[in-house]
Order: sequence, then C-alpha cells, then structure tokens
Amino acid sequence: MALMGNEAIARGFVEAGVSVVSGYPGTPSSEVIVTLHEFGAGSEIYVEWAVNERVAFEIAYGAAISGARAAVTMKAPGASVALDPLISSAYGGVEGGLVVLVADDPGPHTTQTEQDNRWLGPLAKLPVLSPSSPQEAKDLAVAAFDLSEELKLPVILRTTTRVNHAVGDVVLGPVRPPQRFREFRKDIPRFVRAGMLFNLERHRWLSSRLELTEGVLTKLYPGANRVEGSGELCVVTEGAAYNYVREVLEDLGVGASVVKLSLLYPPPTEFLEDALRGCREVLVVEELDPYLETVVKRVLYELGARAPVYGKESGHLPREGELSRRLVAEALVSVGWVPKTAVSPPAGTYPSPPPRPPPMCPGCPHRNTYLALLLAIARAGYRRDEVPIFGDIGCYALSFQPPFEAIWTEHSMGASISMAMGLKVAGYGGPVVATIGDSTLFHAGLQPLLEAVHKRVDVLVVVLDNSVVAMTGHQSTPAWGTTESGRRAKPISIEEVVRALGADRVYVVDPYDLDLTVEVLTRALREPGVRVVVARHPCALMEVRARGVTRRYRVVEDRCTGCLACVRTTGCPALYYSNGRVRVSEGDCVGCGLCARFCPYKAFEVVEVG
Amino acid sequence: MGRRVVNVAIASVGGQGGLTLSRVLAVAAVYDGFSVRTGETLGMAQRFGSVVSYVRFGDSVLSPTFSEGEADYLIGLELVEALRALRLLKPGGLALVASVVKPPLSASLRREELPAEALLEEISRYARTVRVPAVELALRVGNPRAVNMVMLGVFAATSGTPSDSSIRRAIAEVVPARWVESSVRAYELGRSFVLSGS
Ligand code: SF4
Ligand code: SF4
Repeated sequence: MALMGNEAIARGFVEAGVSVVSGYPGTPSSEVIVTLHEFGAGSEIYVEWAVNERVAFEIAYGAAISGARAAVTMKAPGASVALDPLISSAYGGVEGGLVVLVADDPGPHTTQTEQDNRWLGPLAKLPVLSPSSPQEAKDLAVAAFDLSEELKLPVILRTTTRVNHAVGDVVLGPVRPPQRFREFRKDIPRFVRAGMLFNLERHRWLSSRLELTEGVLTKLYPGANRVEGSGELCVVTEGAAYNYVREVLEDLGVGASVVKLSLLYPPPTEFLEDALRGCREVLVVEELDPYLETVVKRVLYELGARAPVYGKESGHLPREGELSRRLVAEALVSVGWVPKTAVSPPAGTYPSPPPRPPPMCPGCPHRNTYLALLLAIARAGYRRDEVPIFGDIGCYALSFQPPFEAIWTEHSMGASISMAMGLKVAGYGGPVVATIGDSTLFHAGLQPLLEAVHKRVDVLVVVLDNSVVAMTGHQSTPAWGTTESGRRAKPISIEEVVRALGADRVYVVDPYDLDLTVEVLTRALREPGVRVVVARHPCALMEVRARGVTRRYRVVEDRCTGCLACVRTTGCPALYYSNGRVRVSEGDCVGCGLCARFCPYKAFEVVEVG
Repeated sequence: MGRRVVNVAIASVGGQGGLTLSRVLAVAAVYDGFSVRTGETLGMAQRFGSVVSYVRFGDSVLSPTFSEGEADYLIGLELVEALRALRLLKPGGLALVASVVKPPLSASLRREELPAEALLEEISRYARTVRVPAVELALRVGNPRAVNMVMLGVFAATSGTPSDSSIRRAIAEVVPARWVESSVRAYELGRSFVLSGS
C-alpha cells in the first residue's frame, strides 16, 4: 500500500510492539505520532505529545528501563533539547527496545539550521540507522527495536525530509502485541550517574556493547548495508541520497558499485573494508556534513589503499542544501566518470513571478496581536526602532514578513524571553518585548521567565495564545482537557502559571478586541518589571474547522480607491489587488473584519453566509 | 535510459489541495501496480505559500523528487505558481493549468496586476499548454474547492494513466467521506473536458 515515510515508521513501531510513544511536534517528524493517534485509538499503546523533547525522551527512557518498548520522535533541533538525557542513557542502557526518531531537514525546508544529527552517533555513542525509502523506514524501525534490545542501548533512527515525507509502496509485516512493563530492578551502578567509578565502568560497558552493533544488525536485517552493482568505481551513500545515486547511475549508464549503508554509527567497518578493497576511486554522496566521507577515508587508510575519495571535502558536492538528481549527475561529470555532454545544462532563463512566502492565515489572531503591539509602541510614544521585539518559534514568526516586519529575532525555542533579558542586562535602556506562543512557552519559555522575574529585569512578555501547536499541524498543548488519544488531561492555565512564577503584572486579552489589546499593551509597555500579556484567541484555522465561517467581507467596488490601506495594515492573504482595486478572495476570507476597520473609505461590507 | 518513469510536478498555493491531488495519484498508481514516489514538504507553514509536489511512477522509482527540466507534466492549480514551476518541465513537456489566479501579497503590495490572460500567454510561450476552466467546472459540481480533482481528471485523460478504476478507488480512500461524491464528479468533468473538449 502507499504510505508516507512517517506513516511507515508509525507502522514499524506498531509491528515492533511499541507500548509507549512520546515526542514533541516538529516538521518533518510530526506525522509519526499523528498517524499513531489515528489508528491507535482504544489500543494499549500510550501515545502522547510531551511538553518538550527532553521530557519526551525521559518518558520513553523511563519506560524502556522497565522492559517496555518505547519510542520518541523529534525534529533536528529537538535532538539538542533532548541531548543531556540522551547521552546519559547510553551509560544506563535499556531493557526494552528504545528507538529515538530524529528527523533532519536538508534544504532546509522548515528548520532553522541544517543540523546533521548523524554526529549524535559518535557524540552520544549510540547506534544510528538511516533509511532511504518508506519501505526501509518501516523495516529499519522494526529492526531498530530488536537491535536496541539485544545491545541494551537506545538506537537512533535518523531520517531526512525526503524520507519522512516521501510516499512510496510499502509491504506490511506482522504486528507484535505491545511490549509493556516487565520489571524494574534496582541497580545503582547502572542507573545512578552520581558515582564516578560506576560511570567509568559503564563507559567501558558501553564501548563493549557498541562493538557488537554491526554483527547484531547484520543478523537482524541482512540487507542493511549492501553493495549493488560492481566495478572499480565506487559510490558510498546512504539515506535519500542513495535514491539519486542509483537512478542517475542507471540513467547515465555508469557501471559502478554502490555501497549503501543503513548503519551509520558505529560504522560497519568489516563490511566497508570488504566493499572498498577493490575500489579505484570512491565518490561519497551524502546530505549535509561530510560524515561518511571521514569514515571512508579512515577505512581506506586502515586498508592501506590509495584510492582517491571525492565528495564534499574535495568540493565535488556542496556542504549546504539538499542533494538532487542533477547535483549527483553533475558530480559524476566533475569527477570524470561521465562525459560533460551526458548531462544537459540547467534549463535556460525562466520568468520569476512575484514571490509567495507563507503568510499568517486570514483571520489569524497573531496578526491582530502584532498589529496591536506596533500600534501600542507608537501610542506609548516610542519609535518602532526603539523597541526591539524578540520573536520565537511558531506561526507568529511569519510576522517578520512585510507588511509587519515585526520581530527582530527568531532563534530557538523559548529564546525570546532570555535574549530580551540579555539585551537589558547588557545596558539597553529602552523597553524590550518578547513574543512567544503558548506551546513554545510551555516547551522552553517558563524557565527564562522565572529567570527574568528573579533577576528583576524589565521585560514585556506577550504570549500569543492560540491554544494549539499550529505550525506543525495542530497538536495538543498542556492547556487541553483531552488529548488526541482521548486521554483526560488536566488543563494548565497559562495565567496561573505565570502568576505563580512571580510575574509582576499579568493581563489576559482577546486580540480580536483590537482596541482593548492596544490599550493594555500601551499600558504594559510603560510599566516596570516583568509584565505578561496573554493574547488569547483560537487559531483561525481551528476555529473555522470547528464552527465554520458565518460572515465574510466584500469590497464595494466603486467605494474602493485602491489606496491599499487594508493590505498594508493587515497583510491578509485573502486580500488582493486587481484592476486598480482591492478584492477579497471569497473562499479564503474568514470574516475577522480587521481589513474593514482600516479602510478610510468604508469600502468593505459584510456578507452573512451559512 | 531503460527505465520508464512519468514525472509529474504539481504547482499550487498552499490550501488548494495540491497534496491531496498528489496522494490520490500515488495511491492510484500503486493500485495500477506501478512503483511510486512522491515528494512533499508538509507543515502549516505552507498554507497560502508556494507549494510544489512531485509525483513519480513507473517501472522502478526511487527518488521522491526530480530536478529542473525533468517533468513530463506540470499540473498548475494556479497560474502564478504554474509559471514559477515551469523550469521543472522538460523540453516538450506538457503544462496542464487551471485558469485560476491568486495574486500573492508581494504583488498586491506593489500594485502589480496579474491578469490570467497574460499569465497563460507567458506560460504557453515556454510549453505546450492546456488551459482548463477549472473553477467553472468545479462550481458545476457545487464544490469550488474541487479544482484539484478537475485537474486530476484532465491529467488522467491526457496521459492515459493511472487507470480510471484505480483513480476512483484512490479518491474514495484519500478524500474525506463527505467530499468523495463531488470529488468524483469533478474528476469526471475534468476527464470529459479533455476527451470531448467541453
Ligand atoms: S495556522 Fe492558525 S495560528 Fe498559524 S497562521 Fe494560520 S491561523 Fe494563525
Ligand atoms: S475580513 Fe479581511 S482581514 Fe479578515 S480574513 Fe477576511 S479579508 Fe482577511
């Protein structure tokens, strides 16, 4: 059947008998848990989003030390959030299989950096597996659990966007019943990292377990590392890049042996020595860092082989961005394996129409909040360039685009508050504003807030509360009373939490009430201390889904002068300019009315629908 | 060059249903026994932004995407996005475009006019182009959002793949139940637009 990579991984988890799955939403990893929620209702599997990746990891680890099979999912930067417990877990090890899905994003398509998490292998000293296709993603997900349990080590399943979000035909396997708690034996040297002698001992244990990896995996999944084709020209590859390599070699009629790896750490040295022994030249094709390239060079050195190695370090492939069929073909030309004429030059010149970066949706409450903030800055008597607005990660970061150009930074989860604090303690005299979403606040913003309160730093924190993790496809937050799996949960109130943390002033407003929001923000801008304004209104997309659209706006043609006041003030994507006037795209407008407020000619009228 | 693979690029504005279209094509092609890959970038950040989906099916397909100049077909659900994606088409490739314009904010902020006729003309300067009154056809089934299914019918009738029966099964599998009927009818209208020229 046709499955997306992430659906295939979810299926693999179920086939392996997983019983605890945790994670934090992040593109391109989110659909694994979303899929489990869809077909997991009423099952014995615990599948829930956690407040952040480290908590998610620790939940999964706590389950796995008791013999349960557990998994945790995250996007690339999430792995850094989970790094502390991840590294310690290698010393304690597990009893039940523990698989850590880390989804990197060469491109990048939706991620702040092109972090290459294959380096987690040597850093955390944990096995790293990497699939190339949806089928392999499912098969390796199953194998990863068995490997983890045999080695007694967590196993990292590292994917990239072009595997997570690729759809392909997948053959399913049998499903094992969920493997739940068996026993948790008190074992102080193993699980207490306070004893330095234990730690040294456990490090030795870890090294001895890692050594077994290649042998165990080869038994469990014989095709994990394989050589396809033959010849003295060798291409070493893994992950999505393998697909480009295979196709391009075939299309260009190049006879080469393709050395395809699924085990990236510890490198399968025995296999590689065999595979590389007869190579005259080696091309390494991989995305992001020259990770395999260093491995290949080491193996050749050990073999005493003199074959030249081409790749990123030699400049034949780029270190940045994702690979493609074309880049692989061009690399084959530049290493001289195919004549230049075999690869057609890139297409000629094409028109470049006006760009369309993703904007905030029509009716998005964040639009109102940023607009109110900009108006409040003026009303409080400041110029816009006197009040730095720190941004954070979520839909609201799209406010960096015209016409708002509101936020000055977007850095990492929760950083808005601590970076704003840093600017103040460095001596900045004017007001500073941190803007942060509700789920980002829960994820990593509460500790920065505590820090700012404790150190008595003046900062205005605006919480853009749309009551959902919107950017990644609408996942639950700790404020929900019921989770996606139907679990009854205790809703956490943001205002109660920030009050308890000691914020000097706490306001709650509905940004759809623009006047009140401007008024409150103006007042808060002038006050000292840590002020928190919770701007709460549901994500417009969610609201439309739940309640439908009851009214829309329309432009009365002969009243519109085409002054663009509405477009420039709101940047709403439902508005567009045509024939000298502004129009509303009927199917896109959700009737928030923001545009109409700012029309000097009263050209908008309401159309009741439904 | 022994492998036979059909490369399809779908250009759309996030929210128009380009992803649904690519999934229906993928599922139908699997029913037909083809090897299939699609490549997307997902996430809410794509709503109202430029989106390109890649669909590939044939003898043995591995890569989820292809490069510039490799698409046999470009399906455009919107004209500005079709224009932007033209570079993906191979020489001699076919552009199937819905006569829909959604002017991007960046154009509106500059008072840039983007009339459909001019866009269509520009597109046809680079590629053989089939223009489809997709909104009118979708409105005929009472579902203005079914432009993607109209274009599915146009593609299937033009290319001859995937098979009609597989596409019908795929629509029923992929599209939410309450939209299946109008989707199928929109698909049929797209088909007959090509087959009978109306
Ligand atoms: S998904 Fe929701 S929160 Fe995100 S931009 Fe759209 S309306 Fe705003
Ligand atoms: S009322 Fe105006 S601002 Fe609100 S969604 Fe409709 S067009 Fe956009």
